[in-house]
Amino acid sequence: MGDSSFDTEAGPSQEPDAAGTPEADLGDGSAGRGRALLRRLPWGAWHERRLEQTGSDLDPRFTFANERTFLAWNRTALALIAAGLAAAQFLKFNLHGLRLIIAVPLIVLGAVLALASYSHWEDSERAMRLRQPLRYSWMPRVLSGGIILIALLGAILAIIDRLAH
Amino acid sequence: MSTRGPGASTGDAGTHEPGRGHPTLAPDRTALAWTRSALNIAGSGVLIARAAFTADLDALGVASAIALALVALLTWHHGQTIYRDRGLEGGLAHHEPVALRWLTAATLLIGVVAIVVTVAI
Repeated sequence: MGDSSFDTEAGPSQEPDAAGTPEADLGDGSAGRGRALLRRLPWGAWHERRLEQTGSDLDPRFTFANERTFLAWNRTALALIAAGLAAAQFLKFNLHGLRLIIAVPLIVLGAVLALASYSHWEDSERAMRLRQPLRYSWMPRVLSGGIILIALLGAILAIIDRLAH
Repeated sequence: MSTRGPGASTGDAGTHEPGRGHPTLAPDRTALAWTRSALNIAGSGVLIARAAFTADLDALGVASAIALALVALLTWHHGQTIYRDRGLEGGLAHHEPVALRWLTAATLLIGVVAIVVTVAI
């Protein structure tokens, strides 16, 4: 029995903060104050306790990897929104409003991915804590399909715009 | 004041091999991921502000720029804070549903403002 943090997963009785006291596992000093504040925000503490009480603790590397995957999806969502904004500002169509047909779907796709990425993170975290297999995400297919559709739409609109003028 | 990196206490004493469950460099990669997210948010703020000024929505542009600069700063700070916390706790990784939810909400808000500005241009 080593002193590894991973060894603390042996059972719920060994969890340091099963009661969910926000300050109990924050370490010391100012570093924990930000997290303590976050946990006191509406629905924050309740939600975090609920997930922490599910299953048993994970190898920390899995938690970190799951969090990085969420952040990567979130950045992809932000990139799509930025692409939509760029399309709105820099695409020049003769027919007024055509750029909206490109820009708005990009932004909406970004918003959908942002929402779905959180849901995917939570599903994965729960599955790992319960030692269940991870589910495949539909997000890569939606992202690929969405980008292909918007690219085709852009090409068709560019041809229509050229033919109309 | 600790000078040890995250997870330093979880390694086996006297060896250079990380212990079982040691996060190795995962906290560093995660802190960098939070930093990249913060930079992305800052970049989105610049784009939204520029688009808002183009659409003559100056007030929205200024408000968005300030708000997103703050969100970017908070996101970066959160990444650094949890990096330090996880180090102090000996590599124990806490999931961060609250921070992730706020980041998701901020991204959705950015999307809504982006649509408003896009339609107004």
